[in-house]
Amino acid sequence: MTSVQARATGALEVRGLEAGYGKIQVLWGIDLDVAEGEFVAIIGANGAGKTTLLRTLSGLIAPRGGSVSAFGRPLRGLSAARVVRSGVGHVPEGRQLFPLMSVRENLDAGADYLPAARARAGRNRAFVYELFPRLLERERQLAGTLSGGERQMVAIGRALMSDPRLLLVDEPSLGLAPALSASVFAALEQINADGVSVVLVEQNVHQSLKLADHAVVLETGEVVLRGTGSELLSHPRVREAYLSL
Amino acid sequence: MSASTRTRRTRPAQFPWDLVGLVLLAVAVAFAPDLLKALFGRASVSYLSIATNALSLSILALSWDVLARTGQLSLAHAAFYGAGAYTTALLARHADVPLWIGIPLGGLAAVVFALLLGAATLRLRGIYFAIATLSAAEVLKAVVHHLPTGIAGGNAGMNVPTLFRPEFIAGQMERWEVAFLRNEAYFYVYATLLCMTVLASILVQRSRLKHAFTAIRTNEEVAGVMGVRPARLKLLAFVLSSVFVGMLGGVEAHRVGSVLPEQSFSVSTTVLALVTPIFGGLYTTLGPIVGALGLSSVQEGLRRVFSDGYLIGYGVVLVLSILFMPRGVVGLVGGLLRRRGKREAGR
Repeated sequence: MTSVQARATGALEVRGLEAGYGKIQVLWGIDLDVAEGEFVAIIGANGAGKTTLLRTLSGLIAPRGGSVSAFGRPLRGLSAARVVRSGVGHVPEGRQLFPLMSVRENLDAGADYLPAARARAGRNRAFVYELFPRLLERERQLAGTLSGGERQMVAIGRALMSDPRLLLVDEPSLGLAPALSASVFAALEQINADGVSVVLVEQNVHQSLKLADHAVVLETGEVVLRGTGSELLSHPRVREAYLSL
Repeated sequence: MSASTRTRRTRPAQFPWDLVGLVLLAVAVAFAPDLLKALFGRASVSYLSIATNALSLSILALSWDVLARTGQLSLAHAAFYGAGAYTTALLARHADVPLWIGIPLGGLAAVVFALLLGAATLRLRGIYFAIATLSAAEVLKAVVHHLPTGIAGGNAGMNVPTLFRPEFIAGQMERWEVAFLRNEAYFYVYATLLCMTVLASILVQRSRLKHAFTAIRTNEEVAGVMGVRPARLKLLAFVLSSVFVGMLGGVEAHRVGSVLPEQSFSVSTTVLALVTPIFGGLYTTLGPIVGALGLSSVQEGLRRVFSDGYLIGYGVVLVLSILFMPRGVVGLVGGLLRRRGKREAGR
């Protein structure tokens, strides 16, 4: 099996990352590399530490040990507001939109507080609307009145407005009908094709491994398997534990 | 039409109701004293005083609301008010600082205290934040109590010179007109301070700060991943909120003619600061002002009908309004107007 660590450099480099909440340690020495333009999936059961890993990468949780750097710049100790300025966008779990703001306002909020992203807001908004034409139709609708799929589109769109070079996406298909989740995955593929590196945390193992260049399997806060998407799709342990085959 | 060309279209510019409202407010207060005098004659002296109290409550409420927009339900308003009042009074007593400098310095003292308090309470949330901010006024009150009497007057407080002393000119005016002139001058000072507070609130609402404050209030983590710096903006809100209430404290020290620890750091100042925007409508410029005018009118009306027992009626009005108008007067009226608009559009 090819080691992700051996091949990849560039967008993200994580070494021995440890993190947790209060007295509970969740991540135990995670190593992860994402090359520029690469699509990496992180899979694992509930409670494996997937969301904690993304939250630590984006500066929402302070790591207890190890190192993180994005595009050669160390991120450890930086606040979320500074991490996003380093080109790392985060689509949080559960969409987390502002329900009383319109679709357009939610999208623009992704760029408004980042001078560099503000300068490219027109181009990025056009890309978001090209990706999700439905959002253009509902531009002035309040986000709280959208369907689950549309909210996910806005959440991804808002992160894209921050002009990221690396996008961290947390459970985008959660609670979506299969057709809608397929369109969300198609959008992520297109975002990646546009040159943005993607780290996807998903419980929809089949879809995410099909898309991923590389993937890691997390169990109780440790990486237990690594490989290319297709390698892991055919790995007996993955097939048994996550694909019920 | 491609998405890129369609997104270039400009959204219809919204009519600047807020700025028009500010101009109307300025015009209304400019003519109010003369109008009251023409309509009510001698009684206009007390009406002007009541109107000045309503302006004072508006400043208190609107300045509190600016901070509340970041989700920080502060109970420190009495502390900022008292810091402003005592700074102005101390400068007048010990340094003979001109009053027009003493009042802005009162605002500045409130800002310095707010920055210290804001930095110390940044990580606190909910009830812990509320308790910490509530104790701020008590701490300042204790400090003032225990300072040597020669400095801050201790428990007995200090006298503060009045800002205006109009003189009676025999043959040209009646006796009551002296009081009218004094009240009119104070009314204009309060009105100017209110217009400044309204302008600051409008500028916040029209800038990127509006959504940043909303983001911090509703979901601080998401605000962070959007690039908003919550700590910095919370401190900015503390500054914007405290400067006006600090100056209000300074002006009121001159108007009342004294500062007392119990009065300047009174919990009732904090309670009024938060009850009024809740009654009028939170997180807006209009809501706290509507709340202040509404509550002042209700209070005055009840006082005239029930005299001593009016506070019971006042309490009932507050409880009913919180039960039946959870989004305040502005939210209720806005909802009714929107429903009516939809009905008419459906016809």
